[in-house]
Amino acid sequence: MLIPCPHCGTRPVEEFTFLGDAAPTRPTTNDPSSMEAWYEYVYLRNNPRGPIEEYAHHSGGCRSWLVVSRNTETHEVFGAVTARDFSKAKEAKA
Amino acid sequence: MTERTFNRVSPLQDVALQGRFGADKGAVGVSFTVRHPMSIVTVIARAGQGAATAAALKGHDAQWAGSDQWFVLAENRGEGALYRELKAKLGGLASVSDQSHGRVIIRLVGPRARAVLAKGTPVDLHPDAFPVGKSALTQMAHVGVHLTRVGADSYDVSVFRGFSESFWEWITEQAEEFGYQVI
Amino acid sequence: MTSYRLDKGGLIDRSTALRFTFDGALHVGHQGDTLASALLANGVTLMGRSFKYHRPRSVITAGAAEPNALVELREGGRKEANTRATMVELYDGLVSKSQNNWPSLDFDVGAITSLASSVFVAGFYYKTFMWPKSFWEKIYEPIIRRAAGLGTASKLPDPDKYEKSYAHCDVLVIGSGPTGLMAALAAARSGKRVILADEGSALGGSLLNEQEEIGGQSGLDFARGVIAELSSMPNVTLLPRTTIIGWFDGNIFGAVERVSDHLRVPDPYEPRQRYWKIHARRAVLAAGAEERPVAFGGNDMPGVMTATAMRTYANRYAAAAGRSVVVFGGNDSIYRTARVLKSHGIHVEAIVDSRKESKADAAGIPVLRGALVADAVGGKAVKSVHLADGTHINCEAVAMSGGWSPIVNLACHRGKKPVWDANLLAFLPPDNGPAFTVAGSAAGKMLLSECLADGAAKGAVDGKAIEIPKSRDEAFAISPLWWVKESHDKAFIDYQNDSTAKDLPLAAREGYSDVELAKRYTTTGMATDQGKLGNINAIAILAEATGRTMDEVGTTTFRPFYTPVSFGAFTGPFTGHHFQPVRKTPLHDWAEEQGAVFVETGLWMRSSWFPREGEDWLASASREVLATRGAVGICDVSTLGKIDVQGKDAGQFLDKLYCNTFSTLAVGKARYGLMLREDGIVYDDGTTSRLAEDHYVMTTTTANAAKVMAQMEFAHQALFPDLDVTYVSVTEQWAQMAVAGPKARPTLQKLMDGLVMTDESVPYMAALEVSIMGGIPARLFRLSFSGEHAYELAVPADYGSMVARAVMQAGDEFGITPYGVEALSIMRIEKGHVAGGELNGTTTAGDLGMGKMVSTKKDFIGRMMAQREGLIDPNRQQVVGIRPVDPADRIRSGAHILKQDDTPSMANDQGYITGVAWSPMLDMWVGLALLANGRARHGEIVQAWDGLRGHRLMAEICDPMHFDKENKRLHA
Repeated sequence: MLIPCPHCGTRPVEEFTFLGDAAPTRPTTNDPSSMEAWYEYVYLRNNPRGPIEEYAHHSGGCRSWLVVSRNTETHEVFGAVTARDFSKAKEAKA
Repeated sequence: MTERTFNRVSPLQDVALQGRFGADKGAVGVSFTVRHPMSIVTVIARAGQGAATAAALKGHDAQWAGSDQWFVLAENRGEGALYRELKAKLGGLASVSDQSHGRVIIRLVGPRARAVLAKGTPVDLHPDAFPVGKSALTQMAHVGVHLTRVGADSYDVSVFRGFSESFWEWITEQAEEFGYQVI
Repeated sequence: MTSYRLDKGGLIDRSTALRFTFDGALHVGHQGDTLASALLANGVTLMGRSFKYHRPRSVITAGAAEPNALVELREGGRKEANTRATMVELYDGLVSKSQNNWPSLDFDVGAITSLASSVFVAGFYYKTFMWPKSFWEKIYEPIIRRAAGLGTASKLPDPDKYEKSYAHCDVLVIGSGPTGLMAALAAARSGKRVILADEGSALGGSLLNEQEEIGGQSGLDFARGVIAELSSMPNVTLLPRTTIIGWFDGNIFGAVERVSDHLRVPDPYEPRQRYWKIHARRAVLAAGAEERPVAFGGNDMPGVMTATAMRTYANRYAAAAGRSVVVFGGNDSIYRTARVLKSHGIHVEAIVDSRKESKADAAGIPVLRGALVADAVGGKAVKSVHLADGTHINCEAVAMSGGWSPIVNLACHRGKKPVWDANLLAFLPPDNGPAFTVAGSAAGKMLLSECLADGAAKGAVDGKAIEIPKSRDEAFAISPLWWVKESHDKAFIDYQNDSTAKDLPLAAREGYSDVELAKRYTTTGMATDQGKLGNINAIAILAEATGRTMDEVGTTTFRPFYTPVSFGAFTGPFTGHHFQPVRKTPLHDWAEEQGAVFVETGLWMRSSWFPREGEDWLASASREVLATRGAVGICDVSTLGKIDVQGKDAGQFLDKLYCNTFSTLAVGKARYGLMLREDGIVYDDGTTSRLAEDHYVMTTTTANAAKVMAQMEFAHQALFPDLDVTYVSVTEQWAQMAVAGPKARPTLQKLMDGLVMTDESVPYMAALEVSIMGGIPARLFRLSFSGEHAYELAVPADYGSMVARAVMQAGDEFGITPYGVEALSIMRIEKGHVAGGELNGTTTAGDLGMGKMVSTKKDFIGRMMAQREGLIDPNRQQVVGIRPVDPADRIRSGAHILKQDDTPSMANDQGYITGVAWSPMLDMWVGLALLANGRARHGEIVQAWDGLRGHRLMAEICDPMHFDKENKRLHA
């Protein structure tokens, strides 16, 4: 599998470490009432058959965290953005 | 400030011995040189200062080393001199860390240098894809490397000091079939 | 002797004489021979015994699909089992042996299973060895394993080298027959980067094996011309002897190049094999088609082979399978076969055509139309054939052709299934889009002219056409011919697994009609050849038995690898010494001079202890502790992770990473920090120092250095991207040494340029940038892991050993002693400092006795989850000290803790000992443990129960700090 690193160009998956679903967002409050949201953030992940956006660390390259979108069923890789851009876009949307 | 120098001991001092090795097929396929002692400084742009840092590094031997990061290299500088110079110059623009002792640069020159490197890295080294001056961060033989094409047939490979001996053994072995020399 | 060498012809160099042995007998072949062709030429047709029935077997094919002629090659560490004789290039001195027979190939006792074969039907093992259950492991399995199996592995190390390499290209062409050559030529002439790979010893594919006419010359001359042009082009890489073994995600291909397998001994600087990972923008599969055998009785007898194989042996290797041949099949190619054999002077008794009519040219050879070969008759060699109508024909060999199966394996490696074509009687490759196309007979193009045109079209870049040479086509017409049910003897479907045509309807009757179940029940399509010859026949028989179409039955899953791959190819150079890289610290040379014994810690080599004459590790480590606590010791701590953290928001960032606060740390000071995971469990610890307002240096444990760096990168980039902070590993820039003990200060003082070391200038937890030895920049930290008055001195790595020697010299008057990680570990246990045994991924800050460090004033990673009920439960296991009640006893790491009178059980388990050490200061074994509600239990007498070593003793729970509780020495 090839991952298009925005910094390094296309590299094989062996250079990356995957962390899983990038959808959950870290809660911004430490209020005790937010425990349920924290629990979901830390533990609950979807396991879709089909498209997914996942965190991947280019640990064998530029050491940037990326969000790779790919299809778990066909293994097609649609693209990758930096985790930084992904977070900022998510923030802007919210 | 005067630049002071001290006797720096290369981690490859007892390993990278001069001579000709491997197959004898006429001219050597690759020549290896350990570029030591070197001044190597990591420069990482502060938030939003990538372009400004790049501009400030004009005139330096700055090799791309990640997003808004560079390795700045120099030969024949005193202990910590390049670090201090860049720290003073880039204050506020970028973070500067001395890595002169932390990395070892091995230079490969020769018609088979590319073939040797292809045994380690998945990076496409064809000149169209990896022209002179381009750098890549990748892995070879389970070791993280910073790779730069410095000429049509020459490359610099930089690795962490601690891995350098192990890496040297691997890369020279990969060159045996072409015949190599250590200068 | 039935098979023999033809007087002339073939691509063999008759001027060479290559001596080789098979089962000890000496034979001679020629350059250009395979082991199989040389054996045939020498009249050796018996090449192996079959897997289950031990039937005599010879070659069925002349190529990669060979299921029968599997031999052991070479000797000693170079021995290689299950090698296809059809793919082995002959060399002078080759040593080969047959497999799966005892006492000899000619007289094999195992063949007795053949007599009892009526019981050895599909599912026999499953049905027979069910009962009694206890017999399976001890009796049945060992017997079956001895009887079955093919070659034997060498237990000696392989003396040869293996290698890996990456390659990149615009167009990868797989297969160098007429289709592949045209594809490569079309792509190459456009200037694109082309790789042409072929598993054969020479490029040319079927053009090396057949009599063809292309562009007014022979097929062979045409191939030579194209190859010459390709090899002159700098944008083309030719890879003969290279099998593409798998197609992977991202259009990456695995390939094995047999660099030196054709040599007696590889050149000392060349690998035996090279594993390529080829990144191809586009690939053209031109792998050709495999001829199918026909299932008739005795279709495995030496002398029976596919028609293509028989032509190949005659045309390319000048080897005849027999003096008289019957050609049998259901398509036009049998006529071509008969003509080719006749052209070589081999007598063809008859063409047996299952069809009523054909327009193909028989060249005067007798043709029996609408006839079927029911049985080959003979034993170790064919003597005649019986036809279904009772006709008897004497012959020494049978060429058979059931039709062609496009070699679609690679096209199906990424999950798509091939599609049945009822006209061609073939499964065609699925559509995989433009990045992977299939051309020529692999795509069902059965005429030479079609192949040339298809190759040129599929290889073309941007539609740039090349001229297609004229060629002469052979007739192609085909009718189904799978299984001659009139046979008496076994009709084999899968030769390698000895599964027969009758096994498949049986599997269907017993409920295993799904093709994947039938495969596993009958073993059809398993083992090294993966059903290359038999699978399509099996599907046809299964379809008929269950009233389904070929499409409805479908194929089993095609998986990499196309052909077997040696472990060496995958391992490459990463064996033995090179299994993983070795990481040495900058003080390695100094430690070596001091006689260090090194220990692998991850990839690092750390100095473990420094034995003197006659000392074991414990005596050495104990002396090192006494010397350090008595005067001064020096220890290499360079392996600790060191991360430069800089930027306006560096302090804020560290506050997010650590559960305690760093933004308030004064410049010039260090602080111990504890890092949690987001789930509230402790992740790592270490001291972090502030060198300037916007500059910190973090230290991590040796083991977690890389993980902490990745965690920081994640925290910044994914969680807190607005923070203005940078971080970079500087672990390797600094050689770092701990100098500890009452004489540490006077020792280090001698190195300082100007700095007068006092409690005021270098207070406890100071972190200073200093200059030593006349200008060497250094960092001086007053930190202590040993509990002594101690410092850590960091200097640029290239000076490391020199500075360590200088420290040794400075401390000489005090008797300075180098100490290793064993002594370090003893001292940390004496002092109750937690390390890997306690930071084990299950403990909280509270468990470690550091609950008070956890800030309640800020957000940090792990803050919320650390507050969960289960993580603050007072009955959690907490770090305590433990020591034996009888000071002569030795407590052991891993021992479980039970209440004084309890019997060992899971329910009674109270915790366990995480680390022990012989304390030279206390003259007894002391340890740390995790114990339920442990902090409230200091003074309690418990059992330390070690089930593993069968050991139980009474121990006392105590404060983790066994030694110098008041920390007087730290500040001395």
